[in-house]
Amino acid sequence: MRIRTAVPAALAVLLLAAGCSGGVSAAGSADSPASGKPVHGGNLVIDIETPQQDFDVNTTSDNESIWTYDQVAQTLYLNGPDGRSLVPGLATSYSLSASKLQWTFRLRHGVRFSTGAPMTSKDVVFSIEQALNPKSTWNFIDAPIKSVTAAGPYTVVITTKTPWAPLLADLALFANAIVPDDFGGQTRAAFFTHPVGTGPFKIKSWVKGESLKLVRNPYYWQPGKPYLNSVTYNAVSDASTRVVQLKGNQAQIIEAAPFAQLSALKAAGYRLGLFPSTRIDYVTMNELFKPFKDPRVRLAVSDALNTRAIMQAVFFGHGQAADSPLMPDVSYYSPVGLHVGNLAAARKELASSSYPHGGFSIDFIAGAGDPVQTAVAQIVQAELKPLNIAVKIRELDPSEVTAQEQSFHFGMRETYWTMDIIDPDEYVSFVLDGQAGSFANFTHFNDPVIDSLTSQAEVTFNSSTRQALYTRIQRLAAADAPIVWLGYSPYDYVSSPAVHGFYVYPEGNAHLENVWLSG
Amino acid sequence: MSRYIAGRLAQFVLVLLGVTLATFALLHLVPGNPARTLLGAHATAAEVALLDREWGLSRPLPAQYADYLVRLLHGNLGTSIYYQVPVSTLIGRALPVTLAMLAVGAFFGIAAAIPLALLAAVRQGRAADHAVRILPLVGLGMPPFWVGFILLIVFSLTVRLFPAGGYGTTPAQHLESLILPGLTVAAVTTPILVRSLRLALVDVLGSDFVIAATARGLARWRVLVRHGLRNALVPAVSVLAVNLGYLLGGSVVIENVFGLPGVGSLLLTGIFNRDFDIVQSVTLIYALLVVLINLGADLAYAALDPRVVLGR
Repeated sequence: MRIRTAVPAALAVLLLAAGCSGGVSAAGSADSPASGKPVHGGNLVIDIETPQQDFDVNTTSDNESIWTYDQVAQTLYLNGPDGRSLVPGLATSYSLSASKLQWTFRLRHGVRFSTGAPMTSKDVVFSIEQALNPKSTWNFIDAPIKSVTAAGPYTVVITTKTPWAPLLADLALFANAIVPDDFGGQTRAAFFTHPVGTGPFKIKSWVKGESLKLVRNPYYWQPGKPYLNSVTYNAVSDASTRVVQLKGNQAQIIEAAPFAQLSALKAAGYRLGLFPSTRIDYVTMNELFKPFKDPRVRLAVSDALNTRAIMQAVFFGHGQAADSPLMPDVSYYSPVGLHVGNLAAARKELASSSYPHGGFSIDFIAGAGDPVQTAVAQIVQAELKPLNIAVKIRELDPSEVTAQEQSFHFGMRETYWTMDIIDPDEYVSFVLDGQAGSFANFTHFNDPVIDSLTSQAEVTFNSSTRQALYTRIQRLAAADAPIVWLGYSPYDYVSSPAVHGFYVYPEGNAHLENVWLSG
Repeated sequence: MSRYIAGRLAQFVLVLLGVTLATFALLHLVPGNPARTLLGAHATAAEVALLDREWGLSRPLPAQYADYLVRLLHGNLGTSIYYQVPVSTLIGRALPVTLAMLAVGAFFGIAAAIPLALLAAVRQGRAADHAVRILPLVGLGMPPFWVGFILLIVFSLTVRLFPAGGYGTTPAQHLESLILPGLTVAAVTTPILVRSLRLALVDVLGSDFVIAATARGLARWRVLVRHGLRNALVPAVSVLAVNLGYLLGGSVVIENVFGLPGVGSLLLTGIFNRDFDIVQSVTLIYALLVVLINLGADLAYAALDPRVVLGR
């Protein structure tokens, strides 16, 4: 099921030019949208891997909190089901000034917060302004915004510092969700303990670290929705216990079921939800480590790694090797092909490098107990051996891996990315832009051409031109190999046959207002 | 007696002080930063440093430890840096779950161990005795998480007698949810308890006062229970106390399998998140419980055996 509302003309042009088909990959659907007439009522229980931590949009970064917050508070525009499109949310349309600096949004009438208070431009101005807090973890996404002003109770004008093509996608970030003006008179801390929004559900109770219960918002603006009376999230850290709870009907949806058990669960009649995601796993190479400064060494390493086998092994047959630095479910993806899995080519590349006989040792850091990171580290260790490159694996606390990475005390590491917004600018700026604060994902890779193309894409509104720019970026990145892009993997959910309309979008959020229970 | 208890309590203070020092030192020696964990991979070093300062984690370790001790003396267990709620609230919610699970487990363990040990001791050297003596070998060979899953598969998914994990919301549901975890606890404690109780009973039943009691014409059950079992219980209490202390640490695994929101689960997430105050407080509570259980065992000796006089 998808939200189907009228897409304004300007947005439609943007989407069409972005190559958006508007369709959803059928492979990932746990349930067809037309699986019967929705029934009202019922209480859904979802077992999640880790508990929600914090809803303060300035500080939170954990997916469980973000995806739960999406049920409570909504943004002006919402991510579409295909990961490439946007659909109107609390705004019905927008217009862009000739200077491409002023965006005028017309707000949806009749929208109420779960307290019953109507939503107006005053709330929107407050919400975006509080998200602009320079201390916010997400400030980098809103940084191009210069000001937000109300031009009437249902009109808001957002002015950017420069023309900024990704703005609409940026506004769909959870941190820009609309909350009551001045937090409804509460302090920030008190408000985010039980946040209020215009979403289909509101928070009924929250036992931190254990469970969180949502109940339907009686003032929700989509007629007839949500169908469910309540949604309870239970944090169950053990994957096998989540499976047992699904089988015992203690939960109707479980997150991150063990890949190894999926076939058995399907055979037992449960619905598998392998939803296309924006997750891309990759291995970074620190260019402050001298051998990696030479692009031919990086290419040799890329060539030597059989990403197809790695993805198959690590994700139990549910992974797919990357054919581009971008993910297939992200706008402007282009399958440019990558240097992978060819030992003869790797030997040839290394022979032409400044280390023709290898003979160096790489410090590979991995999170202790992280099955993907440690497995990839071991495979890389085995696959680089024929090149006479030693890999020493250093297992560390996950937070220490990040600390070592950010202080460049490493040679290689495995990590992954999932998109928070539909525009690739967020990912490309962080992972490939050598001038950004992330030093190209802490590789110290620096290609002035890629940096310049990234900046051009940010101020280019024509989608064909943007496509051409991003295709060039993908080709250049593939040729320079600052990173070994391993591959893509789906979000992994299993649900009871009684659950209908459950669909996880490529950014990881699900629209639970569309979910209903039968029987 | 009261002098003895006062002396033991004074020893406990030293033990607990040692535990706080060891936990604090270990937590800070192990690499890992809670601010980094909270802020995620995109946060810059400056943002992490800011949060470190806000939480007082950039101060010298001796100063942080001194602060921690002063807070403890005021009964303040600190605030969870991950959940931003007082640790006492989290522990206050989780501890009753763990204690209830252990109590149910101890009840099942004792209820199974006494008749089995009596049977084995009375029929020493016969088939029943051999069968009971094999039990510890089987019981000790089964890891608790495996026993837990087997119980869940049999009693929750096949027979559907009990919920498949979780803790429910009403007292009746709580009790229902504790049966299978309690049986898992019992599966760990019973084998050792049976073996020690059987040994003690065999020893006691062969002693002069039991022979004398039997010769005086006392009923068989009375000889077994009043004279035999009561004397044999003294070493068994010690075994049970040691085992419950051990199981307190093992509760992390059992709670995880059954999705119980006890202190074991709290400790586990606390460790993953480098939530210092949670880990320190739960460890301290564990230490406190272990020493109290041992004190309880000492007092039980005195109650069970009049020859034992504490404090001499």
